[in-house]
Amino acid sequence: MAGLDDSGASEKKSGEAINDLPTFNAENMQNNMKIIYYSRTFMSIIGGVIAGILGFTGLTGFILYFLVMAITSVGLTAKAGFSIHSYFDCWNRIMLDGFLGGLMSFVLFWTYPLFPDLFCLFKK
Amino acid sequence: MAEDLVLDTAIRDWVLIPLSVVMVLIGVLRYFVSKLMRSSQSPDAKIVKEGQIIIRARNLRAGANFIPPKSFRARRVYFSNEENGLLYVPKGQAQNAQAQMFSDPNMAMDMMKKNLSMIIPQTLTFAWVNFFFSGFVAAKIPFPLTQRFRSMLQNGIDLSTVDVSYVSSRSWYFLNLFGLRGLFSLILGEENAMDDTQRMMQMSGFGFDPTKGLSAEKDGLDIVQHEWALPKFEQRAEAVLRKLVS
Repeated sequence: MAGLDDSGASEKKSGEAINDLPTFNAENMQNNMKIIYYSRTFMSIIGGVIAGILGFTGLTGFILYFLVMAITSVGLTAKAGFSIHSYFDCWNRIMLDGFLGGLMSFVLFWTYPLFPDLFCLFKK
Repeated sequence: MAEDLVLDTAIRDWVLIPLSVVMVLIGVLRYFVSKLMRSSQSPDAKIVKEGQIIIRARNLRAGANFIPPKSFRARRVYFSNEENGLLYVPKGQAQNAQAQMFSDPNMAMDMMKKNLSMIIPQTLTFAWVNFFFSGFVAAKIPFPLTQRFRSMLQNGIDLSTVDVSYVSSRSWYFLNLFGLRGLFSLILGEENAMDDTQRMMQMSGFGFDPTKGLSAEKDGLDIVQHEWALPKFEQRAEAVLRKLVS
């Protein structure tokens, strides 16, 4: 995942549970959210190209999109060392944020490989 | 029903790829132009002071639970005291700042420049697409859509039996417009990610921010209920020290 991860910056610890009260460093939290956004955008572009090359059409392609988003979520969770609460304030951030944001990029790059004769090698 | 139209490679070479390339280049160009055209405005001292006061008040509100009650109350009084509190602005002055914001020629020019740099490339490119690339099937999108999208996606094509997946170049333009936003945010860094909708929201909210900001902060500060979040702190410190000593 380190190779695919577009942003080189590491996630910073943004929360510490002092006295059972979670405090969050806002700047680090923002940095982490940015990283999630970049990762999702990049993965949706790659996923679009893959879907196009494999020739998926219709519903199958969207299933692939959701699969890619799920893989991104799992990858981000793994990079955060599975201790989500010290990097983000709730699970929903890392799971659902930006889910549909990459959809348009996905569709755009999904259409590219379907051009005629662009990948004639694969047609055979 | 679903005839498999074979699209000419010439279409691909001369329409689709150039359109995408042009849009990417225009985006990059616009980013650099906006960077160059950003005139350095010398910030008004009063506005900066107000901004800093707002930030301080906000920090106080955020960290209210971590300071003892008495000191929080002392700070709050300092801010929202009727006579000489920092956040207390008499009504007359508040109106003034807003009017000043809008009639300031520099500010208006800046906003206009930003708006224009957003709108003009889009309009030009759209007109170019319409003029040159209309009337034929441009691309095939990979998923099927209902008949209702036909009028939206197949603008120049007058055959009604063609599958809705075959779209005209206008819809290819829009697809590029939305899809390249993500790409721009990756290659151009954080700032200019072609967020025109965000710009518009910022524009409408900009004029009101400093004026209503003070009274809003004051109200927010008044509302805060202080909850002492570190009651056991001394015990904790004692435990830590014990561990260190022993």
